[in-house]
Amino acid sequence: MAYLSTTDFTEDKDFIDKWLYTIRTGEMDLSWMKSATEKINPEEANPRRGLTYRDLNLGTYGYTDIPEKVRANRSYAPRGAEIPDGVPDAQPWVSRKSEVWAFNTESYYEEAMSRQWNATTDIPWDRLDGIELPEVTGKALSQLMTFLTEVEMIATDTPAMWLPRLNPDFIEVRAFIAAQAMDEARHAEVFRKRALTTGWGLMQASSINEMALKHLRDADSFSEMSVALHLVAEGNILTLFRFSEYLSPTDVDKKIFRLVMQDEARHVGYGMQHFKYVLEHFPEKREVLHAHLDEAENISFAGAAATELTESFIILAGGGLKKENIDQGIRVTTQFNLKQMQEHFERLDKCGMPERKERSKLYKLYEMGRAAAENAGIKL
Amino acid sequence: MAFYADKDYTVDETVLEAAQKVMQGHLSLNWYEAKTERIAGRASDPRRGLTYQDLDVGSYGYTNIPEDVRTSQSMVSRGSEKVGKLPDMGYVVNRKSDVWSDNVAELYEEDKARRWVPATDIAWNELHAHPLAPELEMACAQLYTLLQECQIVSMDFPSKWVALINQDFLEQKSWMCAQMLDASRLFEVFRKRALYGGAGLGRASVTAEQGLKEWLWADQFPQGSVSINLSLAGFLLVVYRQVAAFAPTKVDREIMRYAMQDAARQTAYGLGQLRYHLKHRPLEASAMEGYLDHTEHALLGLIGSPELLEPMIIICGGGLEKAQVDKGRIATAKFIRLVVREYMERIAAAGLAGHAKRSRIPAMIDRISAAR
Amino acid sequence: MAISFPSTEYFEALKAQMAANEEKFRRLGFIDTTFGVSVGVNGKARNFVLEFEVFDLKKVSEVPAIDLKKVDFQIEGDSRVWREMIENIRRNGEADSAHDLNTLAHFGERLKIVYDDPDGHDKLYRFMESIQEFFDLSSKLEVSF
Repeated sequence: MAYLSTTDFTEDKDFIDKWLYTIRTGEMDLSWMKSATEKINPEEANPRRGLTYRDLNLGTYGYTDIPEKVRANRSYAPRGAEIPDGVPDAQPWVSRKSEVWAFNTESYYEEAMSRQWNATTDIPWDRLDGIELPEVTGKALSQLMTFLTEVEMIATDTPAMWLPRLNPDFIEVRAFIAAQAMDEARHAEVFRKRALTTGWGLMQASSINEMALKHLRDADSFSEMSVALHLVAEGNILTLFRFSEYLSPTDVDKKIFRLVMQDEARHVGYGMQHFKYVLEHFPEKREVLHAHLDEAENISFAGAAATELTESFIILAGGGLKKENIDQGIRVTTQFNLKQMQEHFERLDKCGMPERKERSKLYKLYEMGRAAAENAGIKL
Repeated sequence: MAFYADKDYTVDETVLEAAQKVMQGHLSLNWYEAKTERIAGRASDPRRGLTYQDLDVGSYGYTNIPEDVRTSQSMVSRGSEKVGKLPDMGYVVNRKSDVWSDNVAELYEEDKARRWVPATDIAWNELHAHPLAPELEMACAQLYTLLQECQIVSMDFPSKWVALINQDFLEQKSWMCAQMLDASRLFEVFRKRALYGGAGLGRASVTAEQGLKEWLWADQFPQGSVSINLSLAGFLLVVYRQVAAFAPTKVDREIMRYAMQDAARQTAYGLGQLRYHLKHRPLEASAMEGYLDHTEHALLGLIGSPELLEPMIIICGGGLEKAQVDKGRIATAKFIRLVVREYMERIAAAGLAGHAKRSRIPAMIDRISAAR
Repeated sequence: MAISFPSTEYFEALKAQMAANEEKFRRLGFIDTTFGVSVGVNGKARNFVLEFEVFDLKKVSEVPAIDLKKVDFQIEGDSRVWREMIENIRRNGEADSAHDLNTLAHFGERLKIVYDDPDGHDKLYRFMESIQEFFDLSSKLEVSF
């Protein structure tokens, strides 16, 4: 055991005698009735939305009043409860609000709860009956799905690792992460299921992208993890989902990508709001985050050589392996790659890091790529 | 940073050349003839949709996962072709019998199908329409405060372990994600209920939290799972059933009926995991007995916590009048016996048939009967 | 015309109501359980096995005795308790707090849950909302005792 309770309750005579006495006689201590906690009268601001965490954002229970440094609670007590002496230390690694907070976190959570969909029943799998994609399309689709199912679980594992490290006072952030974990498990599920219905099964793993996943997982701090995961990786994936919906060979695939992009947009939304919050409230982190982005973008460079993904995308975009298909596929893939990079820097800009462009090697690559594309008549 | 990629790719000619080649139309198609099994999975029951059970086939299926997963330490999806140098993700749980339960895919699918939304599925305004007497409302608020503590720990357990478990156990990791969301939802509904009634939160429980931390911080997954998914979840299941049976409001009954569904899935996994573990590793029975001998005292820390016991008496009795308290303490005594009985039943059913005889808990509970 | 309780006709009528209210049961999610209902009538028991799958009651059968190894759990009780529950449902449109399955069975004093395996027992709670809604459909029937 890594931790032993301060008491073995079976040997604590006073404790046992007390509760047996209570049961036997009905005589109660009732000191908890005098808890020094706030009384509030929340109302549903919008009955159609139901009772939300925002409705409970009052006084000591609310998230607005969480201090920048949570000093008062290191236990498993819910925010606002009376904390007696003797509660254990939950050993949180993160007790600083600006390390985790984002505007609208509670809304992202409530939205996630109301918009959960089911990969088993909400996708019209039966519409695949009788559909036989050409081999080249089927294999390319399977390869894309293989990549996607491979990367999705890191987006579960990585934030989930941080969840128990966060001070329990950060209720809404922890809730959001729990919802994200389920979203990503669902994504891993739907992409795996789609690959296994194509007739081709899973294809090849992506060693270069796996390296990116390792980097995400091994961040030193929550903010660094969030920037790399929510902003960079999920931002890139969101663009990929949008393009994939556009390129989908069947309406079943279109439905899949429409549903996953809703979830992804929510994660990116949190990531952007968190990034903004960090830069505004924890300015010392700016250079640390730049350094982290340097490595995250290094791995993005490597991703350009993940031929199993790029080639499958080209084939789907172009519709085949003939020269004219590949030419068309390259045009669309170029647009996609440039769009991904453009949106990455737009997000960083909007969140308060416009200077990223000046120091980013990825931005230089983007500028070169954009110039080359324009020369080739490819419009962004 | 704890991890740097093996190269600075921004200056690596091989990478840039490879990317350029593809974008000039020279596709390698290395992946095109991937050496993987061909499959066209379909739903066996269209009403149920396409489940993980439908795809439990060949190299993709979970039935065929070996006991020891030695060949995969990355995020590679089970059944896909591994190529190139894959990073080691640092998994520390690589034995199937440490995490698996035969019902895990079924529970994951059921969890998704039986989801509910606290914000909108509970008729919250009923609480304001029919407010409780102050002492009863305070008792509810106190109980719901303790239940939030339990859910913080219930959320922490799967999230603490999920990244340490081999990716080949996909269905089980997915189930753990579902558990995280279940715990989050239960925390949410208990918090909303406690605060909406107007009494505010109560007091955190020292004895409950000390025991919960001991359970949460188990060194090994099977031990932690027994504590959290069987002992704690089993205790909570009876709490939810008890409060539903004595519910002071329709809202409380509604909440607890939903909560018991979630808790029962958790106990189903807890029992199933322990059963699987002991069936495949019978030599572990003795270690598990030792672990339970040492840690099940925490169940008393929960049961005997005044922050649970006293509100329970008030809720079951309906108030603080003597006759109400008498009714409440009798119902609470029955609740305690039910918790322990069902705990022992699950432990025995999982393969530790003699445990009740060696456990220190039954003797404590018998003292309730002797005292009446 | 009134349907007699207990009888297979009663459970078949509930089955039909369940099918007619498919959307409600679909929203509640999968229900995959087989359980027994045992009704004590004048010292003897009438026993029924109900098999639920996906969103429906698939099969109802009356049996001389319930093999606990073949069902997840069994709900047993005297006909007077069952009657009280059904009449309460018919009066209120649904079982009230004192008459729902959980309350009646909680301490095993009015209805009793028996089972061979605790895993089967847990299925009562995993599907509680659906099972309760199923019995609440009695509000739509004329029942005689």
